[in-house]
Amino acid sequence: MTLTKDHIGGLVFLCLSVAYGYYAGQIPMFPGDEFEPFHAQTLPNALAWAGGLLSIALLVTARRDRQHRLSLGGYDFQLVAYLLVLVVIFAIALEWVGFLLSTLIFLIGGYWLLGVRQIKTLLIASVPFAAGIWFVLSQLLEIYLAPGRLFTMIFGG
Amino acid sequence: MLDGIMTGLTTAVMPFNLMMVVLGCFAGTFIGMLPGLGPISAVALMIPITYGLDPASGIILMAGVYYGAVFGGSTSSILINAPGCASTVVTAFDGYPMAQKKQAGKALALAAYSSFTGGTIGALVLLFAAPALATVSLSFQSSDYFALMILGLTAVAAFSGKGQVIKAMIMTVFGLMISTVGTDMMSGAPRFTFGSIDLIDGISFLLLAMATFALTEVVMTVLKGQHREEEPEMDMSSLGSMKLSKDEVKEIAPTVARSSVFGFLVGVLPGAGATIASFLAYGLERNLASAKQKLQFGKGALRGLAAPESANNAASTGSFVPLLTLGIPGSGTTAIMLGALIAYGIQPGPRLFIDNPDVFWSVIISMYFGNLVLLILNLPLIPYISRLLAIPRPILIPLILFFSITGVYLVSFNTFDIHMMVFITVAAIFLKLLEFPMAPMLLGFILGGIMETNLSRAMTLYDGDLAFLWERPLTLTIMIISILVLLMPLLARMFQRPAKKPASDEEVSYEGEG
Repeated sequence: MTLTKDHIGGLVFLCLSVAYGYYAGQIPMFPGDEFEPFHAQTLPNALAWAGGLLSIALLVTARRDRQHRLSLGGYDFQLVAYLLVLVVIFAIALEWVGFLLSTLIFLIGGYWLLGVRQIKTLLIASVPFAAGIWFVLSQLLEIYLAPGRLFTMIFGG
Repeated sequence: MLDGIMTGLTTAVMPFNLMMVVLGCFAGTFIGMLPGLGPISAVALMIPITYGLDPASGIILMAGVYYGAVFGGSTSSILINAPGCASTVVTAFDGYPMAQKKQAGKALALAAYSSFTGGTIGALVLLFAAPALATVSLSFQSSDYFALMILGLTAVAAFSGKGQVIKAMIMTVFGLMISTVGTDMMSGAPRFTFGSIDLIDGISFLLLAMATFALTEVVMTVLKGQHREEEPEMDMSSLGSMKLSKDEVKEIAPTVARSSVFGFLVGVLPGAGATIASFLAYGLERNLASAKQKLQFGKGALRGLAAPESANNAASTGSFVPLLTLGIPGSGTTAIMLGALIAYGIQPGPRLFIDNPDVFWSVIISMYFGNLVLLILNLPLIPYISRLLAIPRPILIPLILFFSITGVYLVSFNTFDIHMMVFITVAAIFLKLLEFPMAPMLLGFILGGIMETNLSRAMTLYDGDLAFLWERPLTLTIMIISILVLLMPLLARMFQRPAKKPASDEEVSYEGEG
């Protein structure tokens, strides 16, 4: 049997609906809530059933020809993974080194990952932009941007 | 109504709001031109900016971005045969051949005039249709609202393209599931929070919209290796004249009028947006053409370009009707606007034009200004705006990523949101590879909360009995329409089967529904 995109999708959502239904049963309720016509579990339970039934419908009606098979060739997953890791690093850097430096790290890292290698371009496309955005946010719009834990630890604050 | 128009006019002509229209049209045109990024992504990118504005200005800005993005999509379709969004795919059928014949200027002008006429006719009809519909819908009760939400959700699923209906319905349910994460509004019980404080308030609409439409779309271009493609070469000196001759105007005038009204009507249907309108209008025009004219379609026919352009703009305007009057969006983009309005504390629906007449009327009036700005300012500036396309993708992509992430971070100042965005993006990429449409999920998420409130009210009133679904004639009518809409693709397939029609151009996925 050919496993197509529809089959994979159907199976994933079937598992998701089962898990959702299980956790829907774990939602805490006040004593006597079960006698109410509508409570915190009502909609989640209905959705779990709806999700499960639709997933089964997708599995039953799935297109079975080869052209609907999941083909992962030609996609650059590695680069996407690096980019997403860069986003996570940006989030961590925001807490530790503050907005300005983390923006610089993110932009230079992003340009570098996408193939820009000239140092001049890397700096011109990032430093003025990061400084400009920081200036607009913190000085013009007066939004408080935390300096970063590292600086607070070193210089106090 | 005259009072309302005056209120709208005074709000819309405020210098700041006029600036928002101009800014929105420019930003939208630019983002819409970038292949892969359509009106949904453009509007999603604007949400964080609108949070700092008052509701009327915010929604005016987003409406400007919407038209701008549709127009920008047409520009890249005509100039480089790379539609910025699904609703301008048809524009490339005849627009690009015109550009190849050194008539790019004429094609752009024709697109702008058609869009302007389509948008204007749409705005005029909206001016009268919206208040009338809103007056009728004032008598709605919670059971009717619940039925309306069901109609909105099923319509989006039904219009999602061939072989996609079940997938779209699954995504709608998935969106509803996500909307249940967080504290239950009625009992205060935490649902699906897994003990995390960050999930107590649920998942924010902004985060979900930005992750699924801005971040995912940009990351998908990287995944497909589009960032390595050479920058499009556009010879701006060979644009040619932007003038249309009298005969040409005569030829396209009936087409524009027909397609505008037709596009508006399609746009009003919940779920059917600019993409379907443009495909249908093109098909309609091809069927109406004589055998000789038919041969010209696909080779640079003026009517073939005017029809989809008028229809998609009129449909964009039309999709505001269900949003403003019933609170159910007509397209993915208006779904994002609905989310933004709810975030402002404004509930779109029948009471909008009573509670917030400034928002209601200024959006309608500013639509007209938006179309005017596109015609007067954008058209002459196209050669300059399209130069922005020459910015290398490796520079542009990290910048768009940065705006998407910081847009969310600067609202919550919580880095957990950025981690959450990455998680949602990974899930969205996986689902996109499996060909699941994203717009129904966002719609389900946005309507989830309101739907649950109305269902709870109706069920409490009827003491747990489901009779509310058929006891009120209005609720019953809406439910019947929902069922018909849901069964429509099935019925269509049954009627088509004996004919065994060959695959046509219309067999596209409306995933990027404008």
